[in-house]
Amino acid sequence: MKNKSYILIVLTFFLLTGSCKKDFLTVTPLDQYAEDGVWKDPALIQSFVNNIYLGIPHGFSALMLSSCADESMAVWDWESSNVTNSLLTPSYLGIFDLNFWTSKMRYITWDTSYKNIRACNIFLEKIEGVTFDDKNFKDQLTGEVHFLRAYYYHQLTSLYGGVPIITKAYILNDDFLAPRNTYDECIKFVTEECDKAAALLPASQSGNNKGRASKAAALTLKSRTLLYAASDLANNTTWATGFSKPELIGYVGGDRTARWKAAKDAAKAVIDLGANSLYKANPVLNENTSKNYGDIFLLTETSEDIWVRFVLAQYENDWDNGNPGLFNGPNGWHNWGGNTPIGQLVDDYEMIDGSKFDWNNPVHKASPYENRDPRFYASILYNGAKWRPRPADVKDLDPNGIVQTGFYEKPGNVVKAGLDTKKSPIEDWNGTSTGYYLKKFIDPNVDAQYFKQEIPWRFMRYTEVILNYAEACIALGQETEAKTYLNMIRKRAGMPDIPASETGLLLLNRYRNERRIELAYEEQRYFDVRRWMIAPQVYTNAKAVNILYKLLPDNTTSATPTYSLSTVQQRSWKNSHYYLPIKLDEINKNKNLIQNPLY
Amino acid sequence: MLLSLVLLMVLMTGMAFAQQKSITGKVTEESGASVPGVSVLVKGTTTGTVTDVDGNYRLNVPANSQVLSFSFVGMVSLEMPIGQKTVINVVMKTETTGIEEVIAIGYGTQRKVTSTGSISLAKGEDLIKSPTMNVSNSLEGRLPGLVTLTTSGEPGYDGTTLRIRGVNTLGNNNPLIVVDGVPGRSLERIDPSTIENISVLKDASAAIYGAQAANGVILIITKRGKVGKPTISANFNQGYSRPTRIPKMANAFEYATLLNEIDTYAGNNPRFNTDQLNKYQDGSDQWNNPNTDWFKETLKPWSKQSYTNMSVSGGSENMKYFVSVGAKSQDGFYYNSGTKYNQYDLRSNLDGNINKYISIGVDISGRMEDRNFPTRSAGDIFRMVMRGKPIYNAYWPNGLPGPDIEYGNNPVVVSTKATGYDRDKWYVLNSNFKLNIKIPWIQGMSLSGNAALDKGFRFHKNFQIPWYLYSFSGMDANNQPIMQKGKKGVDDPRLTEDMTDNMNILLNGIVNYERKFGDHNVKLMVGIESIKGSGDNFSGFRRYFLSSTIDQMFAGGDKEKNTNGSAYKNARLNYFGRVNYDYKEKYLAEFVWRYQGSYIFDENNRFGFFPGVSLGYRVSEENFWKDNIKFINNFKLRASYGQTGNDQIDEWQYLSSYGFNNNVFITNTNIANKALYESRIPNKNVTWEVANQGDIGFDAELFDSKFLVTADYFDYRRSQILWWKNASVPVSAGLTLPRENIGKVSNKGFDFNVEYRNSLNDIKYQVSLNGGYQKNKIVFWDETPGAPDYQLSTGHPMNTSLYYKAIGIFKDQAAVDKYPHWTNARPGDIIFEDVSLDGKIDANDRVRIDKNDIPTFTTGLAVNVQWKGFDFSVLLVGSTGAVRYINTESGEIGNFLKDFYDNRWTPENTDASYPRTYNRDNVYWRPQQNTFWQHKTDNIRLKNIELGYSIPAYLCQKVGIQKLRLYMNGYNMFTFSPDLKDFDPEQARNDGQGYPLQKIANFGINVTF
Repeated sequence: MKNKSYILIVLTFFLLTGSCKKDFLTVTPLDQYAEDGVWKDPALIQSFVNNIYLGIPHGFSALMLSSCADESMAVWDWESSNVTNSLLTPSYLGIFDLNFWTSKMRYITWDTSYKNIRACNIFLEKIEGVTFDDKNFKDQLTGEVHFLRAYYYHQLTSLYGGVPIITKAYILNDDFLAPRNTYDECIKFVTEECDKAAALLPASQSGNNKGRASKAAALTLKSRTLLYAASDLANNTTWATGFSKPELIGYVGGDRTARWKAAKDAAKAVIDLGANSLYKANPVLNENTSKNYGDIFLLTETSEDIWVRFVLAQYENDWDNGNPGLFNGPNGWHNWGGNTPIGQLVDDYEMIDGSKFDWNNPVHKASPYENRDPRFYASILYNGAKWRPRPADVKDLDPNGIVQTGFYEKPGNVVKAGLDTKKSPIEDWNGTSTGYYLKKFIDPNVDAQYFKQEIPWRFMRYTEVILNYAEACIALGQETEAKTYLNMIRKRAGMPDIPASETGLLLLNRYRNERRIELAYEEQRYFDVRRWMIAPQVYTNAKAVNILYKLLPDNTTSATPTYSLSTVQQRSWKNSHYYLPIKLDEINKNKNLIQNPLY
Repeated sequence: MLLSLVLLMVLMTGMAFAQQKSITGKVTEESGASVPGVSVLVKGTTTGTVTDVDGNYRLNVPANSQVLSFSFVGMVSLEMPIGQKTVINVVMKTETTGIEEVIAIGYGTQRKVTSTGSISLAKGEDLIKSPTMNVSNSLEGRLPGLVTLTTSGEPGYDGTTLRIRGVNTLGNNNPLIVVDGVPGRSLERIDPSTIENISVLKDASAAIYGAQAANGVILIITKRGKVGKPTISANFNQGYSRPTRIPKMANAFEYATLLNEIDTYAGNNPRFNTDQLNKYQDGSDQWNNPNTDWFKETLKPWSKQSYTNMSVSGGSENMKYFVSVGAKSQDGFYYNSGTKYNQYDLRSNLDGNINKYISIGVDISGRMEDRNFPTRSAGDIFRMVMRGKPIYNAYWPNGLPGPDIEYGNNPVVVSTKATGYDRDKWYVLNSNFKLNIKIPWIQGMSLSGNAALDKGFRFHKNFQIPWYLYSFSGMDANNQPIMQKGKKGVDDPRLTEDMTDNMNILLNGIVNYERKFGDHNVKLMVGIESIKGSGDNFSGFRRYFLSSTIDQMFAGGDKEKNTNGSAYKNARLNYFGRVNYDYKEKYLAEFVWRYQGSYIFDENNRFGFFPGVSLGYRVSEENFWKDNIKFINNFKLRASYGQTGNDQIDEWQYLSSYGFNNNVFITNTNIANKALYESRIPNKNVTWEVANQGDIGFDAELFDSKFLVTADYFDYRRSQILWWKNASVPVSAGLTLPRENIGKVSNKGFDFNVEYRNSLNDIKYQVSLNGGYQKNKIVFWDETPGAPDYQLSTGHPMNTSLYYKAIGIFKDQAAVDKYPHWTNARPGDIIFEDVSLDGKIDANDRVRIDKNDIPTFTTGLAVNVQWKGFDFSVLLVGSTGAVRYINTESGEIGNFLKDFYDNRWTPENTDASYPRTYNRDNVYWRPQQNTFWQHKTDNIRLKNIELGYSIPAYLCQKVGIQKLRLYMNGYNMFTFSPDLKDFDPEQARNDGQGYPLQKIANFGINVTF
């Protein structure tokens, strides 16, 4: 009897093991959502759109685009000098390669852009079939995605020229070998997407949606795109000697005046929208305009923000994100030095009276950091500038928090190095080579060696629109109109008006300098020097200032330094670098792609 | 513990008083040599003794005793009737090892004589000769056909990568580990003293495990009780470890010289003048011009480890037991190490017979794995040691710690507990319940059921606290140093805790039928098995602790606190069976099959059928053989062919699913939004990868089984390999590709084992040599359509990549001008070959190099010698055919190898073997992968060496001890690798920034009561 009951147990066992066959192997994932679940639920759809925003590169990474242009030099190089030396090839994309080791620059690559474009395409294919209780919400999301798709294509077109326009979400067995579209087609596509977005989006965003795209953002993107399209690079393909498909990198023929007109109208549309205004546009006498300008980048919100990326320290788990203070602050504050301004940028800040700064002017040379454009004091840390208090362990050496990028001669052939130099007792390897550090964007209230700041990155601010408008006006010969708008910006900065007599090339150069100073480090210059085709003139060896407090005959150290200039980084330009090369591997995969000229 | 030992001794002494009759005798071998240590037992009782060093024994037995039994490992057990005799001398025969052995196969055991599969076997007693803390480290060189790679020696993460017959697929190549019949358990952390043996199923015999068995199967059998009086055995080990190798780095003077060269090449003034260089050399100013050896400052000469195990085993016919407890402890290489590994083990294996037909087995084993680390990883620490600049102080002359390179990571500090701690505790409980029923009505039929429940529980705690480093800014007026104390790492203490709770349930039911029909032997087995896994995890984070004295969640601040959690489930279902047939044990045949379903695949592609067949022919049983080829006393030919499957890929490839990004999208101050992305595009058709495995081999025993030879040739073809089509799909498609069944790979090779055992007078010795060679080749693959032929992977081994071919150093400008070169190349740079002959160097000049880090030939040579009480063993291992890319982070970022300094190009030394001094990646030949930095890792290692001495039994027995053995052994004591001198040939990191492998010297004692 007993045996039989045991056998029964075993048989039951067999049945238990085998009976649940069908359901047994059907396991649903517990850590992700199934596709059909997503495209029913507006909240999940919105979080899908959120992810597309996260693919947009912003400037708060350790290596900034400024170090690939004539604004700064990366202390640790990280192969940025291969860009400033024009050494990129289809076989070597350096920092523009997906596999480059710092995380942030990857967002600017061909690979990442197309991944996010695919997400846009999926959304636009699926959204039609989704029922929303709130139609406005659906429109809002759809508008955002059109904007985002426009942004990615704008970025690709600016970097590579015409690229394949893909508006379909591919499935596994599709034919993927899309050829490049012409430059013209790309610009048309981007502006159409901007229009679609503008039609669906509110003039500006507020409350919980502040960081999302608005009509103002869509129109600003359109303005930027059309301005680029009207610029020299897109309208003069002769630099690409012998290139068989010039239509891929610019316009061949057509009416350029109409393009400037379109650029002007697009900028005007943002102005007329009235959603934004210049921050503190009308300073009173003796108002601290330097602080006003600096605050634009230190406040969490200003009237000129069109589209920004907010930052919350708690959620920033990527080391290469949202920490400009640590990346760029001086080593004497235990920061990494980072993207140090080069002499050329510093020297381009005008004197307070609107005249040019000149090292050959003995007055200027004796005290180069006095009486400069107020924006200089908000953007650059220079020797003698007062900044935040030093960290506890350095405080004894400098109780006042004064930047020290100079050297002090002491008796007995001793040269004592400033705390923020490459010979500092504090993390000397991160000391500046140029004599300067970045101040713009860096929250002085945060001890960046431990804490991340929480200031948004501005992708688009109203000032840019004013500048875009002025640039188009100058090109169209409407110089008075241009000056009216440029003077708004100068006035806010505490700078005198442009002389009424200044016209033509002088005015153009004044405008370009104004844009360079006002938008310094805002990821505009890299594109500006290309589209203006001034890259050959500006990719010159990086300049530095050397500061020495000399030993006086009475064996004391002079309280006033002497300055000398040197070059610290070799730079050179090749025309191929107007556009990036398409990776050889990608061309090997897609025979329909044509490489950019001169590679 | 000591107390119980004493008690046991008293007990055993007590037994001696029940005497009634004394028997003496001597045990000898056929050669006449005496055999010490033989267990002599009155049959059916626990009364017994062991022979002394001269083979003599004396035993008091109850008057009614009938039979004495004699047993000794490696000899055939004997039983002698007692009768009226008082002297019983016996001659024991050496066990004809090999063929009579019983080996573990899937779902059962088999006599080796009739097995037809290609199976390698290692014994627990050999593995324990490696004084390592991780069983997987002990396998190298012991099992022919098993390729091993130990890439790190970090306590707690020192596992060895195991590859059976090399690499067969681009996907997961890990073999299936089966412990006591339960697949998926971990091999690494088993207490080695509890291992009876390990067998490796290399060919179609693995097909019984079907899916998951494509990469071979490793079966571990733990020890079980045997009938007899309780045997108590204890092992104590004390070991000392240090890195097998540390690289020779440049010293301060050399490094400063290299920095000057960097400046010169960049067109700047050199940063150090002659005076400073001299000071670095003469060491006259330790404050400003030190000469620091970062390895020496961070790593102590020897680190301790210890291992203790105690076991009790024995039993009666109806109840047998094996119970073992163990403890291990292992210290890190660092001074005041924050890294430490502790483990505690318990195992209880019980077998019982309920009646004539029914038997049960209950196995329970549990362990706690306790991993302790600093809050900076070994990668961080060794990155800083490698980068450590000799021109900076690790400690200032006044003993305070010097500055960091970055992130506060001064390695002499962050390797200690100064940074807080990271404690990772895993509790593992494995249980197994077996019920076996012989069906009384059908002769030879039995049923068995098996339920295994494995539970894993993890509690992981990471408490980061600030630490302090000092910078120096000159001397004050009194010539006292001015020091600044700087807080590093984190500003406020912060705590992360996470918990994981995993469970795996295996149920199986098996029907066995075994019958002899005259000369025909038949064995049948069919079974069902279900395996189900699930787990949950949860984590919490708080910062802004006011103080670091209490490391508990409640004490943290409320700002920025964070929680997270997730879960998983998996399921597999199998039907399997085996048929064995042999005729007179001469013609052998086996057929195995498995029909298996896996949750990894979509409903329609879920099940796969995997059969295997193997045949054996014992030619030596034929009369013609017996008459003519007498010296080969046993010869068996084997052949097998089978299919197994592989489902070891990421889950949900068939599903279109969306996952959350780790980053969130912030849309206003304090508004954080989740971000969801498409995980991949689905592939509904994804299904089993199939391994077709053919094997032919033989087993031979020569000269009365003194000489054993086993050899196998195999031909494996993997098809439907699951891989991504990313070689041909352009990036502009934007797709995150799923795996598709697209690849075909062949892998061919051989392995062998040769063994000779004999004795010479009192010396017994055994020499064995094994080896394995394999080479794989991609037969079909997704290729980039426009790539040149020499870049295609088809026809080449797997896991290779493209390299520029380095063909020398540009000696001077004339040499640069003469040959196509990378833009900006200058004298002292590496010459890349213009493979495409188009006059320029670009990505099309890269070629596919056929080598990777997996060796193609591996071998082991083991020698064991015994003489009287002494025993000595050596294991030498070697491997060839692998390469390692060495690419240190050097320049302003960190130090250079001394080898580089000594042999670099300079304008004065243009015939150099190394290129000019570089600054990190600022020269094209650093970021561009090229063959210059590839080193062969061919090596020979003294893996194990052991010397033991057993105290003569007559001495031991006076204190109630049966056996006492003292030994010392070593692991990785010596390594020879001619092309790679600075790093261990197995260490995985290209930049040296990993925890080095261990060299261990160990002393131990083994006591049996």
